[in-house]
Amino acid sequence: MLNDYLTEETVLFAENIDGWRTAIDLVTEPLLASGSITPDYKQAMIASIAAGGVYIDLGFGIALAHSRPENGVVTTGLSSLRVTPAVLLNDDPAHPIDLFFCLAATDATGHLDTMRDLATLLTDDDKRGRLLAATTSADALAVIQEIGDSE
Amino acid sequence: MKFLAVCSTGLGSSFMVHMNIDKVLKELGITGVEVDHTDLGSVAKGDADTIFVGADLAEATQNLGDVVVLDSIIDLNELRAKVRETAERKGLAIPTAEGN
Repeated sequence: MLNDYLTEETVLFAENIDGWRTAIDLVTEPLLASGSITPDYKQAMIASIAAGGVYIDLGFGIALAHSRPENGVVTTGLSSLRVTPAVLLNDDPAHPIDLFFCLAATDATGHLDTMRDLATLLTDDDKRGRLLAATTSADALAVIQEIGDSE
Repeated sequence: MKFLAVCSTGLGSSFMVHMNIDKVLKELGITGVEVDHTDLGSVAKGDADTIFVGADLAEATQNLGDVVVLDSIIDLNELRAKVRETAERKGLAIPTAEGN
C-alpha cells in the first residue's frame, strides 16, 4: 500500500532550493534515516542524473529518482519532495521538475503493489493535479490515501 | 503476443509503463497479450512483439524491432492511444471499438 511508505515523515516540501542535487539530498534524507538505502544509493542516483540520466523524468513535472537495487537498497522505500519553484533536472531546461519521488526497490518485481498504486496515482489527471497542488503533507497524504481506499 | 516495457534500470518507469499497459489492455478488452518490463541492457531484438520506451531511449532502442516511444511515462491518454494503435497494427481484436 502506498501509504505504508508515503507518510508524514517521507512526504516533504521545500522552497527556493538551489538545484536538483539539493532536491536529491532532501528527498533521500528520510530513506537514509530509516536505513532503507545506503549513502551509495544516493550517490548512484546523482551520478546517473549527472551523466545525462533524465530518464527519471516521468512527464508533468514529476521525476521518479531511483537506481538499481545492488547500488544500495536495504529495504523497499519511497519518499517524495515537492519543490517550489521547479528545479531543472541535470540543469536541463527541457526537464523542469516540481515533484520528486525517490524509489528504493529491492528487486525488479517485489514492489509490484507499490508501483501499481504509484502508477494509478500519477496517471489519474485529477489526483495528479491535486497532488501537485498540495502545499502540506496532510493535503498530499489525503490524495495518496484515496488510492488505498479505491482498491 | 508480447509487449515489453523497457527503461534504463528496468524497475522504475518500465514497471510503471508495464502496469499502465495492463490497465489499458483491460480497459480496451484486449486479451492474449503478455506484458513484462526489463532494463535496456537485458533486452534483445525478438524478446517481444512490441517494445515500449520513454523518449530518452528512443535512439538506443531503434534497432530492436517494433518500438513505441512514449513522450510521457504517466500520460494514460497517450498510452491508451498508442496501445490501441499497436493492437490494430498487430491485428488484435479490440472489443470496445469506441473505447475512450
